[in-house]
Amino acid sequence: MSLAGFILRRVLIIVPTLWVIATLTFFLIRAAPGGPFQAERDIPAAAKEQLLHKYGLDQPLHRQYVHFLVNAARLDFGPSYKYPQRQVREIILEALPVSAELGGWALLLAILVGVPIGVIAAVRHNSTVDYASMGIALAGVSIPNFVLGPVLVLGLALGIYLLPPALWHGPESRVLPVLTLSTAYVAYVARLARGGMLEVLHQDYIRTARAKGLAEPVVVMKHAFRLGILPVVSYIGPAAARILMGSIVVESIFSVPGLGRYLVNAAFNRDYTLVLGEVLFYAGFLMVLNLAIDIAYTRLDPRVELA
Amino acid sequence: MRDPTRGLKLPAVLLSVAVVVCACAPAREAPVGASASRERWFGDTSPPAGNVFSFNLGAEPETYDPSLAAGQPDGRVARLLFEGLTREDPQTLEPLPGQAYRWDTSPDGRTYVFHLRPGIRWSDGRPVTASDFRWTWLRVLRPETASRYAGFLFQVVNAETFNNGTLRDENQVGLEAPDDSTFVVRLTSPVPYFLYLTQFYTCLPVPRWVVEKHGNRWTLPAHIVGNGAFTLDYWRQNNRFEFVKNPRYWDASSVRLDRIVAYSIDDLNTSFNLYKAGVVDWCPSGYFPSQFIPYVRPYADYRHGDYQAVYFYSICVTKPPLDNVMVRRALKCSVDRDAIANDLLKGSRRPWGNFAPSGYPGYDNPPGIVFDPVKARGYLAKAGYPGGKGFPKITILINTSEDHRRIAEAIQAMWKRELGIPVEIENQEWGSYLQSTTALKYDVARRSWIGDYLDPNTFLACYLSGDGNNRTGWSDPRYDAMIRAAAREMDPARRFETLRKAEMLLLDEGPVIPIYHYSTNELVKPYVRGIYQTPLDIHPLTRVWIDRDWQRRAASVAARQSKVAAPVEIR
Repeated sequence: MSLAGFILRRVLIIVPTLWVIATLTFFLIRAAPGGPFQAERDIPAAAKEQLLHKYGLDQPLHRQYVHFLVNAARLDFGPSYKYPQRQVREIILEALPVSAELGGWALLLAILVGVPIGVIAAVRHNSTVDYASMGIALAGVSIPNFVLGPVLVLGLALGIYLLPPALWHGPESRVLPVLTLSTAYVAYVARLARGGMLEVLHQDYIRTARAKGLAEPVVVMKHAFRLGILPVVSYIGPAAARILMGSIVVESIFSVPGLGRYLVNAAFNRDYTLVLGEVLFYAGFLMVLNLAIDIAYTRLDPRVELA
Repeated sequence: MRDPTRGLKLPAVLLSVAVVVCACAPAREAPVGASASRERWFGDTSPPAGNVFSFNLGAEPETYDPSLAAGQPDGRVARLLFEGLTREDPQTLEPLPGQAYRWDTSPDGRTYVFHLRPGIRWSDGRPVTASDFRWTWLRVLRPETASRYAGFLFQVVNAETFNNGTLRDENQVGLEAPDDSTFVVRLTSPVPYFLYLTQFYTCLPVPRWVVEKHGNRWTLPAHIVGNGAFTLDYWRQNNRFEFVKNPRYWDASSVRLDRIVAYSIDDLNTSFNLYKAGVVDWCPSGYFPSQFIPYVRPYADYRHGDYQAVYFYSICVTKPPLDNVMVRRALKCSVDRDAIANDLLKGSRRPWGNFAPSGYPGYDNPPGIVFDPVKARGYLAKAGYPGGKGFPKITILINTSEDHRRIAEAIQAMWKRELGIPVEIENQEWGSYLQSTTALKYDVARRSWIGDYLDPNTFLACYLSGDGNNRTGWSDPRYDAMIRAAAREMDPARRFETLRKAEMLLLDEGPVIPIYHYSTNELVKPYVRGIYQTPLDIHPLTRVWIDRDWQRRAASVAARQSKVAAPVEIR
């Protein structure tokens, strides 16, 4: 099957999936009690009526639904109810680069640090290096980021005033959130890389390569690496979508103006348009990334066919 | 200004880390003559590089269009960018001349004539005129604007009917601008706190031509025009506002800050950390976890005072048994406020048995509800439930929060112990909780109320029949009559006496169980001058300044106090 045909088929699945997600989200958020204009201090009835009318919330639900679908198809989610001076699209486009930058650094760190550790541990199987690095990796996977973040802040930002304890303001402010976000990924990637490499290093074709008299670095890097790294690749795809779309915990701890914070607050605020916009964006992003990973797979492993 | 930190490169991180290390090193050394300040002050005490003041704004403002603003962060931003007819005295919050340099009041107290300061201008150079104020106030009242605080202007003649759409002709509303510098306001009754309202953010003027041109988006940094001491230089949602001094402001010479940075940090722990590290110079009340109060109390940064807000339980009176006034009295008298405030909350709050808070000038609170389990059991018996027998299960509704839950559990235990009645606790997230209380779908609910102006009316008017903030179904014609009579009363003493009687009635029969009096708990760096503790937690920031010499000053004060001519280190 050709690559173009494969992509076309996948896109044809993505569209109805998005529609199902959009529909579910639309009706679920409407089912939640309260509404976007509910506040502790009462709004005069006339004002509330005007607000509902202004945003079309006084129309029957099915009409609102159709209206929403038509606009969503054009990537227009309307204005945020909570922040009336902004469009949902603007908010997403402003917050995405922040989350993506934070996630990008974390992801890069995960690959650049995690993969070499995993490979070395696999090559030095059952050595001190292997045990030490896997011990640390196990700790890294186990410590949740809502513990790691405050501990790093306590040590590096408050114990000594080396780095700002939070905020997205200046390059030094990136260090702690990136470290916090990436640690678990570094550790997990290292474990995956080690596992993958170990399995491959015991296969027949590696023995053959060694028997041919190839130097060990060539065996590891040229022959084993491409296959041994596959578990990492298949993990990185969904992980990338998650990590690039923003981490709610890390963004809150470090007050990072990314997508994760908006998503949580939007749900609490019943900011219908912002919730829908974010959920659809997230879903679409995830599916496109998965598609990209499937394509990357075929490039790495010639045995995998597009289907 | 763009975010200068895009596209981070690793060498840049290392370099900046090195720079930060170098920059921090000297600041760690306590200067001579101020060695005691190491323990006295919390965290970093080195002043910022320039005349820049940073603080935590808390949650991201929903809007800072003054006519629409509703929350405290919204108001803080609006007050920097706009100035009203009057402005608050930073210490007492009494009205000082602002855009109006003087005003006259008619003998019946129903007409105010404001005379605008000559030569005042908007930040784009246009003159500020009386018709700007008239247009803005009419905008607040226009139903299409949907302003949440439109009710603030309902004392203006015909404002209420104009706001609900029954009156269409804006010329019949009691607002006139006979010439560019005279603004006349006609009120339906003499409102003693009217001048306080003119400094409230709802009444701040907005530039008509900008609003009409850009609609909802007029407040974006690219469009916004103001008449306040600062202009908006940079804004990034969920991150920060940066304000710069407005050279066209009439009193620009008294504005000593060049820049104000207001961060939107909603996580309380993060806010506290940033204060300690010296990234923010002021951590306003409520922006650090209340459990930390005992820990920061010994430091001189910590400021504590009364706040015009009350934490209370409201009772929904629409169904039995809570429709019975005897049952309500029993519930009220069996809450041990002292135990909650002093033991549970470690003395960070003051037990309070009244609905109106303390400290309103001229108002003398009636005796509050006191903890009296014997009396409470008597009331319950009179209601037909001796010893709690046959009393149906009631539920305390709280919005999700650790503090609310602890208090609810304490009250649950008190009611069980003193009255023998079965009580459950239900928590809901904020939106659902608001819906439940508004729809009267609860038995007893946690609530709190914050005063808007320095008068008990801001509390007591909530329990008028059918008021949107009542949310209990309680209605008493005697109470309504007293609140309305007080609004017409010219003599302050008699007016307060009427309000006092109304509060007594509310406490005796009404649907509220006051629990504690809020207090402000804030942290201010030693080099920040011009922030005072105020009863409304309103802090005019326009005249704040950074005292670079604070250590020398502190040392000389200390030297004077000890009456020893100690040598003072001057940097």
